[in-house]
Amino acid sequence: MRLTSLMTFFVAIASLGACTGSKEEASKSVLTIGLDQEFESLNPTIAQMAASSYITSMMMRSLVTIGADWQWKCVLCTEIPSFDNKKARFVTENGTRKIIADWELNPNAVWGDGTPITGHDVVFGWEVGAHPNVSVGNKDVYTRIESITVDSDNSKKFTIKYTDARYSYYQMGTFHLLPKHLEGPIFEASKDTAGTYEKQTLYTVRPTEAGLYSGPFILEDWKLGSHVVLKRNDKYWGDMAKLEKVIVRIVPNTQALEANLSSGSVQMIGELGFPLDQALALEKKLAQDSQLSSRFKVSMKPGLIYEHVDFNLRDPLLKDVNVRRALVLAIDRGKLTQALFEGRQSVAHSPFHPLDVYYTDDLAKYDLDIARAEKLLDDAGWKKGADGMRVKDGKKLSIILMSTAQNKTRELVQAYIQEEWKKIGVAAVIRNEPARVFFGETVRKGAYPHTALFAWVSSPDNPPESTLHSKNIPTEANSFAGQNSGAFSNKRVDEIFDAVKYEFELEKRKVLMKELAQIYASELPVIPLYHRVEIAVIPTNLKGYEMTGHQFYSTQNIENWYLE
Amino acid sequence: MSSFLIRRLLQSVLLMFLLSFVTFSLMGWMPGDPLDVACAANPQCTPENVALMKAQMGLDKPITHRYFVWASSVITGDLGYSRTYRLPVGDILWPRFGNTLILGLLSFCLSLIVALPLGMIASLKPRSWADSVISFFSFMGISAPSFWIGLMLILIFSVQLGVLPAGGVETIGGASMGWFAMIGDRFAHLILPVLTLSLLTIAGWLRYVRSSMIEVLRMDFVRTARAKGLSQNQVNFRHAGRNALIPVVTVIGLSLPGILSGAVITESVFAYPGMGKLLYDSILNNDFNVAMCCFLISCVAVLVSSLVVDILYAVLDPRIRLS
Repeated sequence: MRLTSLMTFFVAIASLGACTGSKEEASKSVLTIGLDQEFESLNPTIAQMAASSYITSMMMRSLVTIGADWQWKCVLCTEIPSFDNKKARFVTENGTRKIIADWELNPNAVWGDGTPITGHDVVFGWEVGAHPNVSVGNKDVYTRIESITVDSDNSKKFTIKYTDARYSYYQMGTFHLLPKHLEGPIFEASKDTAGTYEKQTLYTVRPTEAGLYSGPFILEDWKLGSHVVLKRNDKYWGDMAKLEKVIVRIVPNTQALEANLSSGSVQMIGELGFPLDQALALEKKLAQDSQLSSRFKVSMKPGLIYEHVDFNLRDPLLKDVNVRRALVLAIDRGKLTQALFEGRQSVAHSPFHPLDVYYTDDLAKYDLDIARAEKLLDDAGWKKGADGMRVKDGKKLSIILMSTAQNKTRELVQAYIQEEWKKIGVAAVIRNEPARVFFGETVRKGAYPHTALFAWVSSPDNPPESTLHSKNIPTEANSFAGQNSGAFSNKRVDEIFDAVKYEFELEKRKVLMKELAQIYASELPVIPLYHRVEIAVIPTNLKGYEMTGHQFYSTQNIENWYLE
Repeated sequence: MSSFLIRRLLQSVLLMFLLSFVTFSLMGWMPGDPLDVACAANPQCTPENVALMKAQMGLDKPITHRYFVWASSVITGDLGYSRTYRLPVGDILWPRFGNTLILGLLSFCLSLIVALPLGMIASLKPRSWADSVISFFSFMGISAPSFWIGLMLILIFSVQLGVLPAGGVETIGGASMGWFAMIGDRFAHLILPVLTLSLLTIAGWLRYVRSSMIEVLRMDFVRTARAKGLSQNQVNFRHAGRNALIPVVTVIGLSLPGILSGAVITESVFAYPGMGKLLYDSILNNDFNVAMCCFLISCVAVLVSSLVVDILYAVLDPRIRLS
């Protein structure tokens, strides 16, 4: 009897708890987003995790950003300084050409506590970001600034002097302003010891302080590893957000995330890490279930993650460009993306995405051509033996294909390539390593014997100098600094990179990048595979939502979102 | 007894020092630092900045130096700072440890309450229908992966029936509800993860209880007890049951640290912020301060539970003397 009463008690309170959970989620003024990745400190300058950027994009606004059309645009600024509008100019100091640019902040821009956002916050953000005792992921955007001067008559105006004259001077999307009136004293007290500011910043100590944020939402509540609750910033200087509250829930398992979507615990899955195979399966499920499809839909947009197979050009076998061409010609990449991704991820022909300003179609393409591949190998001296496999000087043509272990998609791609190469008598030996060993040691040091399958994350209007310039080949002498792990070296390519960053005319840059793409397609330092898509699952009644496909997430436009 | 406890305490301190040093060193020797991994995929990353960040984290110093810096600050109560979350370790660790403690203890108690009687029932009449049914479910529990059980429970109770939350610790924004509703809410969020963890534990433990009891029931002293005319319940529970519990106590005692250190898969499936996932992520991310504190908690749990097991041996079998 006692046991029965106890059980009844527990069931009663559990039911009460279960009932309270659904009220909030039913509201149209609240949106609950599920993410499968964790977040960290919400200080935008020091945060490095993708989920943190996704969340802080709702609470912080930067000077400029890249829109969904992949064009740079002002956010906090009134106009991007350029040579055309006479707000940017060259100066030469001690033989170095530099740029000086006049910026102006939106006159209505205020922090969440109503304090005006001024040039002093820009200077302070720069001081923090560039300081050697503060750990910042993308420090280059801060260190390429030589000085910032605030107009003494109008603190909304400031002038930036850059250390050199690169065309990308205005691309300051990852430059974060910080509220000097709140963070200033903390930074002054902590800046002399490495790592102290990160511990004492108000974003960590008192993150619900409204004045820390400049965006349409401010933080109401957060629990690490669990959730953040954002509420509308009533002092926001831009278009007022239509949603009252946004809840971000962390569910670190994509299957469980989908179950949470079905149960209504989350209304949307943000564009971080939801795998394509699961998205395709969900799409099929939605097509068969009208009840589910009336609630949400899968949204995809081609993104900037470029999957490829790197050749290690230090190896004598792969130094022969005809061998590399034969290996590409033997792979039906169209069929690969069709078979594995139902054609949703487009075949890549160069590092440039079709939406990028530098994309060109005028280059060598390698559609499946077994006969040509076989001829190239025959001409290179690799003859087929009795077992159908190719041999030269008694050595079998065997290529080690490395990638990250336990990555299902990459393992499928490897198996596909292995089968394709077998058709032309090339043996592929698959050898995989855990991601941290593969990226932290093997790729970083260019230590893969022949080939490595992985992806590059890029950004629009960004020449891929770090991966293709010969100065970036990692060697023991330079402590393995540099990302040109395949050791690609081409004099003309180096010249193009050295010229393009100082070329201010877009059309001339396009010409240079077209030449680069053509050399890339001809020389084939890698096998271009495909450009990945970004995936989100959104409620059917969510309006104003726009996927970006690049590093600045859709949440940068959260003020436009609403539930119909 | 007191000399036994003092001896064990001193041994434990030495053991913790040695184990923590070995673990710290092993983490330091793991190939590939997460900073290099992050940099390898990001063309914006500069080698100079990576070197600067490593220096700021002290990663350019030898492992022994880093270990003694860490150990001396832990002794003074400073758990350090997480390089992954960029927050003080205490702020990350203690809430998760609390969650894990609640989840683990509830699961432990439920498993005990269910596994002991079911194991005994199965052992009293081997190969009976009751034994067959219990064994069938026990094997099912052992065979089914925890993520599958978790997802099935979510599908049934959250998606289909809609009576329990699919995950999390509490209803977000539930601070405004009354204390009674809040306790109910926390309890509702615990039901599915506790069930998932318990089903696996129950399945394993009841097999031990069953086999241990069957073995004891065959012993001479049980036959003697029956010959003395003791009732079946007295023979089964007072004599056989008590002896059968000795090996079971070892298994249960050794399971306790595992329960207290968290359950990575269950926590991930139910989005339950516990210590298991934290430990796993911190090792992957070379987050030394977090990983070492999690490790210390696990280490204390192992040492305390083995001490409790030793004491329980003496309680269950008076022939065992702790001295």
